[in-house]
Amino acid sequence: MMLRLIFLSVFILQIQIWAEKGLSPVGPVQPNLAPDNQNTGSLTPVRTSPSHTVDEASRMLQSLRVEDRVGAAKLLGKYPGTQVCLLLVGALDDSSELVRRASVVSLVEQFNNGSFFNLGQPIYEKVFSKIGDPDVEVRREISGLIPRLAFRLVPSLNQRTLINGRMVYRTQPGYLRKDLRELANQAFRDTDPVVRQNMLKYHSSLRLVIGPDVLSKLLEDRDKGVLLEAIEQAQRYGSFEEIQKKFSELTQYPEVGVRIKLCKAAHLLSRSISYYRSILSKLSEDQASEVATLAILDLARLGQKISPSMINRVVNYLINAKGFFGHAENLFFSLPVLGSDALKVYKALLSHPSAKLRSESWAKYLLMVKAWEDPALWQDGLRDSDPQVREVILFTLRGRVQQAGVGQLDALLVSEYPEVRAFGAELLLVARDEVVRDKFFDFLIDENTLVRTVTLRVLAKRKFGNWVDLHVRSLSDDDLEIQKAAGDGLLGNPKEGLPLIKKFIKESPSTEISVYLQNELRKAGFSP
Amino acid sequence: MSIFIRLSIVPFLLFSSLYSENKALAIPAQDGMIQVLTLRRDNTTRIRYPDALPSLLGLMNEHAQVSFDTFPLFIESLTDQRLFEHSILYINCDELPDFEFSTEENEALLRFMELGGFVYLDAGIKASFLGADLGHSYAAWEEREEVRQWFTQVVPGRSFTPLPRNHEIFRTFYQGLPDNKYLKLEEGQKRLPDTVLTFVEQEKWPQGTYSLVGIKMNGRLACVASPICAMGWGRDEFGAWLPPISFRIRESAENFDETLQVASFNGNTFEVTREDGLKDVIYQIPGQRPLWVQEPTGRWRIFKYYSGEEISNYAHSFYVRLGMNVFLYALLN
Repeated sequence: MMLRLIFLSVFILQIQIWAEKGLSPVGPVQPNLAPDNQNTGSLTPVRTSPSHTVDEASRMLQSLRVEDRVGAAKLLGKYPGTQVCLLLVGALDDSSELVRRASVVSLVEQFNNGSFFNLGQPIYEKVFSKIGDPDVEVRREISGLIPRLAFRLVPSLNQRTLINGRMVYRTQPGYLRKDLRELANQAFRDTDPVVRQNMLKYHSSLRLVIGPDVLSKLLEDRDKGVLLEAIEQAQRYGSFEEIQKKFSELTQYPEVGVRIKLCKAAHLLSRSISYYRSILSKLSEDQASEVATLAILDLARLGQKISPSMINRVVNYLINAKGFFGHAENLFFSLPVLGSDALKVYKALLSHPSAKLRSESWAKYLLMVKAWEDPALWQDGLRDSDPQVREVILFTLRGRVQQAGVGQLDALLVSEYPEVRAFGAELLLVARDEVVRDKFFDFLIDENTLVRTVTLRVLAKRKFGNWVDLHVRSLSDDDLEIQKAAGDGLLGNPKEGLPLIKKFIKESPSTEISVYLQNELRKAGFSP
Repeated sequence: MSIFIRLSIVPFLLFSSLYSENKALAIPAQDGMIQVLTLRRDNTTRIRYPDALPSLLGLMNEHAQVSFDTFPLFIESLTDQRLFEHSILYINCDELPDFEFSTEENEALLRFMELGGFVYLDAGIKASFLGADLGHSYAAWEEREEVRQWFTQVVPGRSFTPLPRNHEIFRTFYQGLPDNKYLKLEEGQKRLPDTVLTFVEQEKWPQGTYSLVGIKMNGRLACVASPICAMGWGRDEFGAWLPPISFRIRESAENFDETLQVASFNGNTFEVTREDGLKDVIYQIPGQRPLWVQEPTGRWRIFKYYSGEEISNYAHSFYVRLGMNVFLYALLN
């Protein structure tokens, strides 16, 4: 025991001596040192050339120590070049999974920098063969590389044939080498879900066909990512009875996202294979309103009559949606497929808590019912507290309303929102004379400048009553916007307005409105 | 107190906190739905991850028993009066065409924060070496230069400080990193490559934390800046994550401390602030991803890049959990 302790102490002492001298028992790479400061004598390492760095790393890649090989493999990822690629491909056969992992990650860097492009098919096949590596991390990386490997793994062949004395060029599709094809087929059953998912996603680029038995198994996969991808890929194999059976079973899958994916896939398949309509019918009765709504709208797209209870489910889903995003948004914009039935949905959404959903519903609803013909249809909307809802309604109505009565204008006049009152003033344009006479003054004394300017402009447009006097007086208003509206009104009717404007400019030449009017006169070709 | 109970009293907490100081701020949205304000300039030409925030808000509704309107309320200017009708302002700094804010906007932002509002500056941290490449994030421990200059005008004399790893914001709702159960993986399934998992657990996101910096106002965290997180929040309609995310991992090898000092290199170096305030030196060749890093401890490590389904899923799960923690922290505080 004592002897062991003495031996250990001597060994530790030796290590310390090595450390002081900058040595180690394994002999690290010694940096070239150059004097940094001649006075202090401190040294800074000098960087080597790329070829020297790569040579050094390739030497380390042959080291007996795993740590050296791992370090070299990691470093080589930073130096683009075909020689480096070959070194890394060679390291994929290393006995240590740490080295193989480092190599494959560095290889991905080489793919990213384009160094791999010039290498030939055998090298690509060598890399792809690692889809059968015992280490899961290596297999994951390789499976992720498939789209970049595929073009060399299954290269098309150009065939030149002499037919009746004429040279005919044809392209023949390439196929994956047989042993690699077997490896790839095994990868569909890999223990790791990421590998399975990548294989599913990229199998067509390898010109592989998944057998219905394999795909059926993948449609039972416990990993959601694999399952979603399997449903996606199943769209290519929808005619197989096994796949149809699996789709039917998946309508009961507990996760909503999967059933939504199923619904999307069934919708696409149902265009060519009628069986999938029955899947959509099943999903239209799904307990989740989201899934049911999607299926109902897909059935409507296929021309199926939608029952009132189905419409209620759509209403129910959207009325409970929290905001205008994702499914709610997509399904909302799909509502036109319901035809006139969509009106019921839009109407139900007019009181939705989400302002965005309300505003979009108002826009659709107003257009469907031609709301401009009946003020009762839109007056409630203009009481909405959200400005974007009011804006949408006003945007839809503006220029379309043909009639405005006293009651209608009264309702707008008492609105707490200035843009709504301004809209009321706009409607004076389409009101009968007696209505305008009755109401214009109320708009003209509104506290909001916008309402007053709109009223002035409307009166000028209609040349209503003593509008000229009103405008001349308004040129002396305190508010420049009012003055401009009055000036514009007079300028727009030069016969009556021009002499009065010139008179005003003469009387008050230095005011801001006079300067504005002079400029406007010049633009219109008049001498101020 | 369980998070469910805590969140059920959110409206009350929010209401009382905002009203206790000033009655100018009101409870957001209608019918109990909370709206998140988002600043999006009129001349924004690049919309970064448009589905991200709505997706995150939807996830919070699903998992945290809260009621967010999944459609954010966009404002073009901080002088928009609706700023004072809501309590959370989200800004994706990568979306801003510039960091030009008028004095009125800065005053409004200051007032918003003083009145109890919370500002989340996503991509408010961005290491200089990332340049215009928006597809990267890097956990620097200081706000980006543009944000620093902007906030010098908003809150003169105050600066962002790093949030400690034990800050409540990191465990408001979720704690720690996603495990196999959360990721819906089988128990024995490898969720990440070994080196990646080790780095993530020990250095990248220890205990589910990240590099966040913040500014306090009246003793309350009023503004938080993070590296871009929105890239991790988006989902497609089937619940799969969008877009794919890769990992940048620092890897060592036994001889790297010597090898990387002398290895051939013809590029630029960048200094990036670490959590401890010291600087990492990043080695990068222009137009390429960073090669390696010289750490102030004297250690040299190489950057390795990992992508793939499992990497992306893990990253998304982390960013979603962090994002939820930040927004729910904003609600509760």
